[in-house]
Amino acid sequence: MAEQIIKPDVNFINDIIAAGGESVKKCFQCATCSVVCNVTPEDNPFPRKEMINAQWGLKDRLFSNPDVWLCHQCSDCTAYCPRGAKPGEVLNAVRKLSIQHYATPGFLAKAVASPKALIGLLAVPVIIFIIAIMMQGHSFFPEGEIIYAEKFMKVPYIDVIFSAAALFAVFGFIMGISRYWKDLTRDMGVSSNPWQRKVKGPMIAIIFETILEFITHKRFKKCEVTKDRANTHLFVFFGFVGLAITTTWAIAYLYGYEFFGIKAFSVFHFGESPYPLYDPMKILGNVSALLLLAGILQVITNRRKNAEKAGAGSYFDWLFIGIITSIVVTGILSEVLRLVDVRMLAYPTYFIHLVSVFFLFAYAPFSKMAHMVYRTTALVFAKYSGREEKKF
Amino acid sequence: MEKKFGVYICKGCGIGEAINVDELKKTTAGGARIAAELIKDHEILCSPAGLELIKNDVNEGTNCVVIGACSPRVKFEEFDFPGTITERVNLREFVAWTMEPNNEDTQSVAEDYMKMGVIKVQKGDLPAPNILENLSNTLMVIGGGITGITAALEAANAGYKVYLVEKEVELGGWSAKLYKETPRVYPYDKLDEPRIFDKIKEVEANENVTIYKSTKVEKTDGQPGLFDVTLNTNGSMQTVKVGAFVMAAGWKPYDASKLVHLGYGNPNVITNVQMEEIAKKGKIVRPSDGKEAKKIAFIQCAGSRDANHLPYCSSFCCSTSLKQAKYVREKNSDAVAMIFYKDIRTPGQTELFYKNMQNDPGVLLTKGDVTAVTDAGNGNLYIEAENTLLGEKIKVEADLVVLATGIVPATRATQEYFDALTEAGKKGDEARKAFLDETPKPDSILNLTYRQGPEIPSLEGAYGFADSNFICFQYETRRTGIYTAGCVKQPMTMADAADDAAGAALKAIQCVEHVAQGMAVHPRAWDTTFPDPLMIKCTSCKRCTEECPFGAIDEDEKGTPFYRINRCRRCGTCMGACPERIVSFKDFSVDIVGSMIKGGLDVPDEGARVIVLACENDAYPALDSAAIKKLKLHPGVRIIPVRCLGSTNLVWVTDALSRGIDGLLLLGCKYGENYQCHFVKGSELANYRFSKLQETLSKLQLEEDRCQLMQVAISEYDQLPKMIDDFMKRIDEVGPNPFKGF
Repeated sequence: MAEQIIKPDVNFINDIIAAGGESVKKCFQCATCSVVCNVTPEDNPFPRKEMINAQWGLKDRLFSNPDVWLCHQCSDCTAYCPRGAKPGEVLNAVRKLSIQHYATPGFLAKAVASPKALIGLLAVPVIIFIIAIMMQGHSFFPEGEIIYAEKFMKVPYIDVIFSAAALFAVFGFIMGISRYWKDLTRDMGVSSNPWQRKVKGPMIAIIFETILEFITHKRFKKCEVTKDRANTHLFVFFGFVGLAITTTWAIAYLYGYEFFGIKAFSVFHFGESPYPLYDPMKILGNVSALLLLAGILQVITNRRKNAEKAGAGSYFDWLFIGIITSIVVTGILSEVLRLVDVRMLAYPTYFIHLVSVFFLFAYAPFSKMAHMVYRTTALVFAKYSGREEKKF
Repeated sequence: MEKKFGVYICKGCGIGEAINVDELKKTTAGGARIAAELIKDHEILCSPAGLELIKNDVNEGTNCVVIGACSPRVKFEEFDFPGTITERVNLREFVAWTMEPNNEDTQSVAEDYMKMGVIKVQKGDLPAPNILENLSNTLMVIGGGITGITAALEAANAGYKVYLVEKEVELGGWSAKLYKETPRVYPYDKLDEPRIFDKIKEVEANENVTIYKSTKVEKTDGQPGLFDVTLNTNGSMQTVKVGAFVMAAGWKPYDASKLVHLGYGNPNVITNVQMEEIAKKGKIVRPSDGKEAKKIAFIQCAGSRDANHLPYCSSFCCSTSLKQAKYVREKNSDAVAMIFYKDIRTPGQTELFYKNMQNDPGVLLTKGDVTAVTDAGNGNLYIEAENTLLGEKIKVEADLVVLATGIVPATRATQEYFDALTEAGKKGDEARKAFLDETPKPDSILNLTYRQGPEIPSLEGAYGFADSNFICFQYETRRTGIYTAGCVKQPMTMADAADDAAGAALKAIQCVEHVAQGMAVHPRAWDTTFPDPLMIKCTSCKRCTEECPFGAIDEDEKGTPFYRINRCRRCGTCMGACPERIVSFKDFSVDIVGSMIKGGLDVPDEGARVIVLACENDAYPALDSAAIKKLKLHPGVRIIPVRCLGSTNLVWVTDALSRGIDGLLLLGCKYGENYQCHFVKGSELANYRFSKLQETLSKLQLEEDRCQLMQVAISEYDQLPKMIDDFMKRIDEVGPNPFKGF
């Protein structure tokens, strides 16, 4: 193995500590963590080596290491660590720093990670939506029957604002992921990292395999200390998938009617927002929302329950959980309040819902939401490079 | 003294169930010729009522008490009757617990032990202590570092006069050279100011302490209580009299010039001692250009735990480097300390300091073997290391490298010199002479006038540390009255050294107090008997002077041996060595044991009878342990305890074999000076003497297998029954002693 010149970076160590890895220095490298980890590959297992790299502030080694993302933070390591070094929490902090490192623009990443910037970040969608409401000449508490899309925020406004936010996010992701992929593949074949062997397979097959793994949460289910997490994450995951399908479906209803003149038939209510509760799209949407609610509430209770063993989590984690909770709670409430016709509460709730969704979308590459993309990339890379030879 | 006997047999703890006590009383009376009414029994002899029975007799004039009960190793406080000769016969462990109950053989074992017990008292005498005149109880502490000063203060505060001798101009030793000390109190997160300066003031102000600076010990003559020490203060000599020593001569750092492979020689590669000097002056600047060092690499075990340098761990270097890392970080929060270690070894509570330091983001630790330290230009250095936690091979850049060098004991040079002299001597007289001519003799610290050399002997494999011979008795050395403490004994931290000093001071005090009462010191610290030779029969063969492990026997101008009794530890090696059998203790002599063998036991016509001479210190307790575990011993053996196998006189073999005893088994400690024989090498000496026995045996036309010596450790009690059984089997094969019945 080639000799490596090590450049310790104390600032990076301090960053890890600030990012929720305050226990990093406690590690004395006994490798209990790597032994108890069910998710790690057998060769060069994590998180033992990540811990010393973190202790020495070896940023480059950590960021270009797919193992950081192969970790699902089961916290088995944290529970069994004899020194309270909480490797799970440390790797979580490293992942957060990794998201920040690759995110573009960088200042937004810093802002998302900082509680002080929360007001400012929230202010952006709040102002945008206030302006949008004013531009449409709408009242903040419109009279009569509650119809959000008619009297509060018309579809074109929604489309423009969220399309812009989504584009911004996609741009951020593309920038981040391309830089990440470059780092991952930088030393391929010549690297001192033994797992970066050049094992090439058809990329599509690898991506497909990775996605299949997601759907079943096979890897996640290997966790022991936080056994329930795989299930709750599955709830949240499928809640999101369901809502994504619902959204696409709604777009189809709307534009199918507007551009292609498709009329409502049977239970499919093209062009008739708000849709009746028996519409399959509505059913899917409501079921998905309940799934997501159930999931996120379990996430919160589990996290609190396991705090002692697995660590309490950082601001970064809780912000993400908070936003999702806010989306699902305000979403469901908006619907319920509309149905029971409590105008004075329905509109502000919907407003908060819009702000929350915007927050999740626009800041996705800078928040924990980005884990979805980085973990996928890392898993793909791991399979691509031969790091992941063992089939799950 | 007119002897008045009282014999008491206990029936408790299973003795009463295993043997017929009434019968035993009768046979004891008959066999040992004791009036039957003097032999009493009791259900539980150690109970208040049982003890009352004995005490009443003692009050009425009984002065010889033979107690047939449990092992003498237990209940010694209960069965203590001052002014009497008290003999404990081990009926419980050696009979009731190890033999089949209620059979003829068992009864016979008990009878033999009782008879031998009575004979021992009949032959023995009440000890009268040998107290020398003009004894001094002043202590001398050699070395004015943390250890020496602590020892001096402890002794002085206990009321003893102390001479504190320091070869340097000032007191303080290495402690005074430190910038800071590792934390001493919970939570072990703050560096402490060196405490030595307060201690120096305290010791200088103490009126019990006389301080000699710039002074060396020129000569140490005499014995505990009567040491004459010649001091050399810058050339002017004076002699003082002291009772005992604490030797705390300390250490010096390992010679870093031998660490070229770790970059020493480059000005920016320094030792941990140099680091303290730099830190004392202020900023951590590097020697080459005076620039402040911000990336500092510490290389642990620099020349330690290394077969080519110091093979041992010096115990303090890890916490010292952590301490230095701490002040580096305190002086500059941008600085980084990188520590390369073999293992972090932070003894005792220092572990908490390590944990604290580990938490500092600027203290980076990795295990690894440093393979090279090379110039990186700009005065910087590259450190290359293998097998690190960070990967197989790594390289880091630092602007200063600190080598954590270890401890070399002050006694090492002398030890090496004498080891080399011994080696040269093996090659012949010429090589020896050449060595003496060519090799400069190193300064010794004590300059003892003992025939065994000028310094405290180092153990084999102790690397020149003046370590004790006794794992169980750490302060002891092989020079009675001289107690080592601190880093001259073994590498230790300052906190440990201070504790060690207090212990050594207490041992020195114990020595002068015991000597004042004519009592032995360790390990027979209660003993007021002493070897009392019948000099008129001495042939000046000098075996005793050669064999005494403690240099207690010297020869006068005519070559006649004489005792420096305060050096003696009462092992009886001289008694075993003496071919004229002139050395006796009041309660242990060639005659006493011989009489026990000759008169104490029945030798049956059928069935082998064997005597086991068991070392009191290890083999005997091991036999007791076997009994506690209820292991069975062969009923053909009769165990006689001896002070040390070194006290075994060969005439006992003749006594036994001519009496018709079928065999003799010696149970003693493992050989080698590293095994913890209480008297250094008693069992080895016994074995040496045994090897000369062949002649005697063949003279008697006997098989040499009849006499064997076996080595047993105190922990090997579980193997003892088998060892004895094997010996008995061999004796059965050899057949009965032809002298039987004569």
